[in-house]
Amino acid sequence: MTDLLSPDVERLLLDATTSRSRRVKNRLASIWMVGALLVALVPLALVIGYVLFKGIGQLSLAWFTEDLPTITRKAGGGMGPAIAGTLLITFVAALMAIPLGILGAIYLHEYGGKGRTARLIRFMADVMTGVPSIVMGLFVYTVWTLTFGLNGFGGSLALGCLMLPIIIRTTEEMLRLVPDELRQASYALGNRKWRTILTVVLPAAFGGITSGVMIAIARAAGETAPLVFTIGAARNLNLNIFDGPMTALSVQIFGNAQTPFEAAQARAWGAALTLVGIVFAMTILARVVSSRVARRHSA
Amino acid sequence: MRSSKRSLAWLLAILVTVGLVAGACGKSSSDSTSGTTSASSKFDYKSISGTLNGSGATFPKAFYEETIAGFKKVASGVTVNYNAVGSGQGKKDLAAGTSDWAGSDSLVSDADKATFKGPFLYFPTVAAPITVSYNLSGVKSINLSATTLAKIFMGKVTTWNDPAIAADNSGVTLPSTKITVAVRSDGSGTTSNFSKFLLAADPTDFTIAAGDTVAWPAAQAGKGNAGVAQIIKDTPGAIGYVDLSDAKATGLSFASIMNKDGKFVAPTLAGATAALANATVKDDLTYSALNTVGAEAYPITAGTYVLVYVTPASNASAIKGWLTYLLTEGQNLAKDVDFAPLPTALRDKALAQITQIQG
Amino acid sequence: MTLLLSNDGVAPHGGGDASSLLEPTSGRRGDSAFKAVALIAGLAVLAILGLIAYSTTKEAWPAFKQEGLGFITSSTWIPAENKFGALAFIYGTVLSSLVALVLAVPVSLGIALYANEAAPRRLRKPVVYVMDLLAAIPSVVYGLWGIIVLAPAIQPVYKSISGAVGDIPVLGWFFNGESGRSYMTAGIILAIMITPIITSLSREVIATVPSAQREAAYGMGATRWEMIRAAVLPWSRGGIVGSVMLGLGRAMGETIAVALVIGSQAKITTHLFDAGDSMAAVIVNQFGEASGTHRAALIGLGVVLFGVTIIVNVSARGIVSRFDRRSQGA
Repeated sequence: MTDLLSPDVERLLLDATTSRSRRVKNRLASIWMVGALLVALVPLALVIGYVLFKGIGQLSLAWFTEDLPTITRKAGGGMGPAIAGTLLITFVAALMAIPLGILGAIYLHEYGGKGRTARLIRFMADVMTGVPSIVMGLFVYTVWTLTFGLNGFGGSLALGCLMLPIIIRTTEEMLRLVPDELRQASYALGNRKWRTILTVVLPAAFGGITSGVMIAIARAAGETAPLVFTIGAARNLNLNIFDGPMTALSVQIFGNAQTPFEAAQARAWGAALTLVGIVFAMTILARVVSSRVARRHSA
Repeated sequence: MRSSKRSLAWLLAILVTVGLVAGACGKSSSDSTSGTTSASSKFDYKSISGTLNGSGATFPKAFYEETIAGFKKVASGVTVNYNAVGSGQGKKDLAAGTSDWAGSDSLVSDADKATFKGPFLYFPTVAAPITVSYNLSGVKSINLSATTLAKIFMGKVTTWNDPAIAADNSGVTLPSTKITVAVRSDGSGTTSNFSKFLLAADPTDFTIAAGDTVAWPAAQAGKGNAGVAQIIKDTPGAIGYVDLSDAKATGLSFASIMNKDGKFVAPTLAGATAALANATVKDDLTYSALNTVGAEAYPITAGTYVLVYVTPASNASAIKGWLTYLLTEGQNLAKDVDFAPLPTALRDKALAQITQIQG
Repeated sequence: MTLLLSNDGVAPHGGGDASSLLEPTSGRRGDSAFKAVALIAGLAVLAILGLIAYSTTKEAWPAFKQEGLGFITSSTWIPAENKFGALAFIYGTVLSSLVALVLAVPVSLGIALYANEAAPRRLRKPVVYVMDLLAAIPSVVYGLWGIIVLAPAIQPVYKSISGAVGDIPVLGWFFNGESGRSYMTAGIILAIMITPIITSLSREVIATVPSAQREAAYGMGATRWEMIRAAVLPWSRGGIVGSVMLGLGRAMGETIAVALVIGSQAKITTHLFDAGDSMAAVIVNQFGEASGTHRAALIGLGVVLFGVTIIVNVSARGIVSRFDRRSQGA
C-alpha cells in the first residue's frame, strides 16, 4: 500500500505529534483513494481479459476477408464487411467533421475570441458534446434516411455530428497553445491573416490537433446507436457508401450479443476484439503524437 | 464499377490495415464462379442474375438463411439478402420500395395497403410451432393448458408449484422457483401469433390487447427470438415463447400445450403440419394455423409469408426464381432448421401464383 | 521558435507570401472570405443543434399531439392500443443513471484525488493512462460483457441479497428482486462507463488548485486528508459538481449498453434488482418495428431525452463556468 502512495504520507505517519484519530482518518482517506483505483481496475481488467481471450480465437485471415455467414447460429464466415464498414463510415465522417471542426475552431480562437457569437458557438459546441448518440441517430434518420434510405452515408452523417464538437473544442485548445510571437512574425513578413493561419498557426498546432482528431475518431468508431437506424444491415461487402445497406463492427456486436448461440457469441467477442483494437490503436497513437509534440515544444 | 470498388478497397487497406479489405473484395468475385449445381426444379436458375434485397420477420430468419445459402449454389448469378428486422419494418421497406421482397408473419392492414406502390402477393413459405420454452432444472417435460399459460403470462401464476400448473401435471414434482416471464422487447410477428393464440384460447384470463407488441404485466424482454431464448437459458425459472428452430439450437426444454381437442401436444414439425392441414386458406393464400382442430395439431403454429409486388420495379425474373426455389428445393431444407414445409396443396397453389408476377 | 518554423515546413512559404504585399485588395478579400468560411463552419454547430430540435420534434409531433402532457405523465405504453405514455421509461432513465452516479462518484473522486494528490509521481501518468483506456472502450463492448458475463453471474448474488434483506423496511425497498438484467446491472455498467469521464474532468478541476494553498495547509501541520478537505475540496467543489453532472448527462443518454442489460420491462419500481427500461433502450429496441404514431412516439422519446440532456449539460456548464469565474477572481 505504501508503494502506491507518495512519500509525504509516511512522513506524517511517523510524526509523533499527529494525533491518533487524525492519523486514522488520513489512513482511511488513503485507503479510499487507492481502493477507488483498484475498484476501477477490476472491470477494466475483466472486460479487456474477456474480449482478448474470447475474441482471439476468432481472428484469422478469413475473419478479415470473408463475408458474414449466411447462417448466424453456426460457425464460419468472417467479419470483412463489418470491418470495412466501420473504417469506411468513420473515415467519411472524419472527412466531413475535420475541416468543419478545424475551421470552426479557427473562427473561435483566431477571429471570434471573446465576442458574443464566439461565446455562443463555444457554449453550444460544449452542449453538443452532451447530445446522446441515439438522438444523433434519430436526427439523421429524420433528415437523411427518410429521404435517401438506409446507407452508410447516413451513419457517417451521425458520426460526423458526434465528432464535430469534440474536434472544435480540442482544436481551439491547441490553437491557444500556439505562441502569439509566431503570428506576429508571420505578419511582419507581410503575410495576410488567413495565410498566417493556414501556413503558420495550423502547422504549429498540427500535432495537438491530430491527437484531438484521433480521439474524436476513436470515440465515433465505437458508436452503435446512431448506426442502427441509419445503415441497415448487410452481409456482403458494400463499399458504396451512398447506395444500399452496410454493416459495422459495433452493430455486429450488438446483434450477436443478444443470442444464445455459441458461434454467434464468439463472433461478438471477435468483433469486440477487432473494434477495441482499432479504437485503442487510435487512442494510443493520439497519445504518442501529442506527447511527441509536447516534448518538441518544451525542447 | 468493380475496379472503382477495388481501388477504394485498396485505399482503405493502405489506410489502416494490411490488404484485408481488398482480400474480401477478391473473395466476393471468386464466389460468383464457384458453387455446385444440384438443380431439380424446372426453373432455369442459371439464366437469372441480380441482387434481391429482402427484410422482415425474424421468425423465419433461420429458414431464409439456409435457403439463401442453398439458392446461391444453384443460382450463382443472384445474391439474395435478408435483413431480419421484424415483420413491420419488412412491410415498410417493401412499401417504400427499398427492398425487393419482404418476409412477414402478419398481414398488411387495410390502412397500410395504400402506402404500397401497387398490388402485391402473399406467398406462404413455411410454418413452425412457437414453443413455450422454460428453464427448470430437473423437470424434463411439462404440460400446460391454454388457461394456465395465459395466467402465467398475465402474472397471475408466479411460482412453478402453483396449483394451476400442478393440475396440468399430475405426478410431476414441481419446485417453488419463481417464474420469470420472457418476452420480446421488439415488436414481432411471433408475439402477435402467441398473443392471438392466448386471446383465442382463453379470452377470460388473457385480458390485454394482442398484437406485435403486447403490454405484458410482468416480464423480462429480449430482442428477437434469440434474445428471448438467451434470457430463458440464463435464468432459472424462466418461461417464454420462442420459435422451435431457435429453441432447439439453444437447447431449451419446451412444454406440451393443450390443443382445441384437449390433447397435450409437444411442439414438433408433425404437429405444425397437422395444424396447417386443418387451417382454412383464403384466396390470397393467407391463413391462420392458430388453435386449429385436430388431435395431432400443435395449437401455437404460425405461418410466414414472402411479400412481393405483382409488378416488381426490377429483378422480376430473379424474384420468380427465388420464390420457385423457396417453394421447391427450399422446402426440403426446412426440416434441417426445424421449420415445417407447406402441405402439398398449399405449396402448389403458391407455385401457381408465381405466374401472376409481371415482367 | 525558428526551430519550430523550419520543422513545420513553414519557412518555404514565407518567400512566396511576400507577393501578397503587392496585391493588398485580393489579400484583404482573401481575409474576409476566409473569416466568413470559418464563421460558417462555427455556425454549423448552431445550425445542427437547431435542426436536431426542429426535425425530431416535427417527426414526433403526431405523438405529442395525440398524447399531450400524458406523453410524460402517463406510464401506459401500449403500441397495439395506440397508447404512448413514457413515464416508466423516463423513470428508468433517471433511476439507472442515479444508481450509476451513486456507484461512480466515490470511485471517480477517489481516483482523481489519488492521481493528483496522493500517488507517487511515477504512478500519476499511468493512472491517467488507464482511465483513458477505460474511456476509450466502446459502450457496446461493455454491453456485450454485461449481457453475457455479468448479468448471469450476478443474478444469484441479487437473489441472495434480496432473500436476506428483502423483508427489512428501507433496505427491502431497494434491494429486492432477482433479475440478472436489471436497473442495478444497468447502473453498474453505466458506472464503469462514466467513471473515467467524471475522473478526468474532476482531475482537471483539482489540478487548478494553487499549490500555495496546499503548501499552506501542510505548513500548518495538516495531514494529507486534512489538506484535501481544507484546501482542495472547497476550491474545486463547483467544478466537481459540474463534472458529476456531465457524467449524469452521459449516463442518461447511453443506449446500447443499457438496452442490453436493463431487462426491457416498462415498470416503475424501487426494486433495483428488477428489470426496467430506459428511454434510449426503448427507442433502439422498438424502432425497427414501429410505424405511424408508434414511430413518432419513439422519436418523441428522443426529443425528451435531448431536452433533458441539454438541461443537465447547460446547468453543468453553468456551474463550472460560475466556479471558473470565482476562482479566477479569487
